[in-house]
Amino acid sequence: MLPNVKEFIRPETVQEAYVLLEKNRQATVLLAGGTIVSQMRSSNIETIVDLRRTGLDKIVEKPGEIAAGAMVTAERFRQDRLIADRYGDFFYDSFGLIGNWQLRNMITLGGSIAPRLGWSDITTCLMTVGASLLVYGEDDYQTLCIGDYFQIPASERPIITHIILPDEDYCYAFNRFARSAFDIATLNMGIAMKLSDRRIVSSRVVCGSRPMFPSRMESVEESLVDLSFDEQTPGIVRSLVYDSFSGGSNMIASSEYRNHLASVLAERAVKKIGEIVL
Amino acid sequence: MKITINVNGKTHVVNIEPAEMLLDTLRRLGYKSVHRSCESASCSACTVLLDSNPVLSCCVFAATADGRSIETVEGLTSSEKLHPIQKAFLEEGASQCGYCIPSLVMTTKALLAEEPDPTESEIREMLVGNICRCTGYEAQTRAVRKASRYLRGDEE
Repeated sequence: MLPNVKEFIRPETVQEAYVLLEKNRQATVLLAGGTIVSQMRSSNIETIVDLRRTGLDKIVEKPGEIAAGAMVTAERFRQDRLIADRYGDFFYDSFGLIGNWQLRNMITLGGSIAPRLGWSDITTCLMTVGASLLVYGEDDYQTLCIGDYFQIPASERPIITHIILPDEDYCYAFNRFARSAFDIATLNMGIAMKLSDRRIVSSRVVCGSRPMFPSRMESVEESLVDLSFDEQTPGIVRSLVYDSFSGGSNMIASSEYRNHLASVLAERAVKKIGEIVL
Repeated sequence: MKITINVNGKTHVVNIEPAEMLLDTLRRLGYKSVHRSCESASCSACTVLLDSNPVLSCCVFAATADGRSIETVEGLTSSEKLHPIQKAFLEEGASQCGYCIPSLVMTTKALLAEEPDPTESEIREMLVGNICRCTGYEAQTRAVRKASRYLRGDEE
């Protein structure tokens, strides 16, 4: 509940939105899909800046990349032809596990990343495909990787305008575990692998809802380089993830439980990749 | 602030609070099929179609609906004759207390507009967020299939 909101402003450009945000960050909130802002409990917020009219709702193909506007909804992204052509069923299947149809029609890509939600399946999926962010702030437009964006203090964070998806030749898989279909993930795991002659050239292993923020398991990725991809690989990845897991406990699950879960989800994800490549 | 919304084909110019939710606006306008329940995006009892897409009106700021069209159960039929989806729900016994039914009916309408002949797994996927505490969802799944046959003209 936001009992003290006095203004609801609908800027038509990102620049205008940023100026409004900078006027008084403590009392201003940016509105994307609305599912987070509508649940906020704060008497400090006096201004809502709605990004809906800023033109960030398009998915465009550019040389070597796809740029998805920060206001594209999860369902629209999931159903998009460009995305399906580039990533096959990866986003269709992965995003289909998130919430429900109604929520996916509301939640946006940018609105899922910006609040730095540890449990965001969207962030984990986007990190798995190596997405970066185009942001607008004090230094004009710049491109940041998602991890770097999270390092910026909240009081200085620029506005995410686009999610940049690189054109890469990887295979992708995503898994999540939750106590019920509609619950937030107890843990999620995304794996990307680039293979050449059945050898792993490079990979991304991303674990989210640990319950901290999604992060790459770089030691696992390094261990996988040049490994032959065969029936043994899922078990190898399972052991590597188990040994490298870093997570915490909360009311949903203990760190030990998550450690076990991460290794199982990683194994299943690699099996999925195996179904594609073997 | 003032917004203009089109609800079931009727235009409303309405004064709202800046942080007002669409659920509150619609109920204030008399669209009582839009049910207040969890108010935390958890149950879907407040589902309406916003520009033909099902959304949770408890989490949609009314101001973002300015200039857009909204559909609720009240708009399904103008006569005493039931809409084919309502008829299917009635015939299949898909409603017990009825509290979640307006949202289920509207979600079904959106689903059948997108996919006129959905598979059972598609129905279950699309209805996953509509929480009903009376039924086991079997009757509702059957009702959606029956509604799809009605709307396609395969059954009368």
